[in-house]
Amino acid sequence: MATKKEKAITDAARKIRNAWKNGKTIKPIRDSLPKGDLEAAYAVQQTNTDIWIKEGRRVIGRKIGLTAKAVQTQLGVDQPDYGIIYADMAVVDGDEINFSAVSQPKAEAEVALVLADDLDGEQITLLDLIDATAYALPAIEVVGSRIAKWDINILDTIADNASSGMIVLGTRPVLLDDIDLRICGMVMENKGEQVSVGAGVACLGNPLNAAVWLARKMVDVGMPLSAGDIIMTGALGPMAPIGPGEVIEARISGLGSVRAAFSD
Amino acid sequence: MVEIAKLARTLDNAAHRARATRQLSENTKYTLDDAYDIQAASIQRRLDRGEKRNGMKMGFTSRAKMVQMDLNDMIWGRLTDQMMVEDGDTISIKNYVHPRVEPEIAFLLKRPLGYPCTAAEALSAVDGVAAAMEIIDSRYKNFKFSLEDVVADNASSSSFVVGPWCPPDSNLDNLGMVMEFNGRPVQIGSSAAILGHPVRSLVAAARLTAESGERLEAGWIVMAGGATAAEALRPGVNVRNTVEGLGSVAFNVTA
Repeated sequence: MATKKEKAITDAARKIRNAWKNGKTIKPIRDSLPKGDLEAAYAVQQTNTDIWIKEGRRVIGRKIGLTAKAVQTQLGVDQPDYGIIYADMAVVDGDEINFSAVSQPKAEAEVALVLADDLDGEQITLLDLIDATAYALPAIEVVGSRIAKWDINILDTIADNASSGMIVLGTRPVLLDDIDLRICGMVMENKGEQVSVGAGVACLGNPLNAAVWLARKMVDVGMPLSAGDIIMTGALGPMAPIGPGEVIEARISGLGSVRAAFSD
Repeated sequence: MVEIAKLARTLDNAAHRARATRQLSENTKYTLDDAYDIQAASIQRRLDRGEKRNGMKMGFTSRAKMVQMDLNDMIWGRLTDQMMVEDGDTISIKNYVHPRVEPEIAFLLKRPLGYPCTAAEALSAVDGVAAAMEIIDSRYKNFKFSLEDVVADNASSSSFVVGPWCPPDSNLDNLGMVMEFNGRPVQIGSSAAILGHPVRSLVAAARLTAESGERLEAGWIVMAGGATAAEALRPGVNVRNTVEGLGSVAFNVTA
């Protein structure tokens, strides 16, 4: 017999799954879960993860969200969150993305890390992460929300796979030896017009800090990161809205550039 | 007839005594050209007291700020040696009205730069580039002003601090910038926020000075404009701006 909370989790997961499937937004789900119950929200996400994997979606990595101090303050939390990246969410640099593919899309410029080794040990440190990292790539995350008008609180976004959408990766791998991820500058343009600027330090002080948090968290929840996984470490500046037909280019100093193009 | 000398004296006194004054536009109607004349006259009073002109500052160089202020051009102000704070030095908040700080990038010119000039020509006149900060301090009550008011008030310029000069041989278009108070980041950005590329600000500086009948001179410093929003200063903070590839610049604030 399912408890009331279990039923609420199953219901919220179904609503979100349907919204992903039919492209329609839904009302916030936060009020159906116990107030501030992050574990319940992750249980919603996990429910869908299990179902989607069973349906054949392939996990290729994780994303880290809420990595900016300002965003954490805005949502009243003191930690980031995570979501699952599936193979069907990855787009090739410059390839056209169907504008309706992501619900209420916005763009964020990020550093992506690709792992050479598993990170399944106990008490993972920064050194473990550096040792396990094969290379970094510039990336654009096209975030989206299945919740109408992005009216989200922390529970809504966790349950909704951390407001993920698509990812576009740049194509030139850079070794961690060759870039200072703390101070690297970031600029994002939409059709040549500047829409966001920032630097590595905006992502929890350093994108590597965010990645260490994720690696530990994944061990805690029994889904450790493994060789080949992509880590989308979090935005280096404010997110920017996207309209039909627009082309977003992100440049990260030392990492190069990457583009996300949208159909009309 | 706008009383340029009188208005210039009002602003110069306000700066000198670190006392806020009323917005000039409250009682006087004047044009943008008048505003630059007031600025020139106000700075002339400082030069008459023995200060030496050593550069210029650009203002409203971020597109966001221009849109916010409903402007279509930048503004500029004049710098003197007395406005310069040494890297690592301490300032007293008493000498300011309500100071704020912005992370910037500064250029040092090795030869005069007239206008018209291309970005490549402007860069070839540059001797060094550095991490810098500008302490802006409107002499007007509540840091509020019209466009004419702020221009007359030397574009709110008060002090500036420049880090070690670096050779201008790196790409300046997307340098990460972080400004910290007591070691904690308070503003994060990129040099891209300065007109998309700080050298564009230098070209604009050459144009604006030429339009006013002046010229950027050898040995002058050009402050290229704020890369982020400004932060209010308070006693007890160590302020540092670090720019990717250019190092850091810092100062302290006391009561």
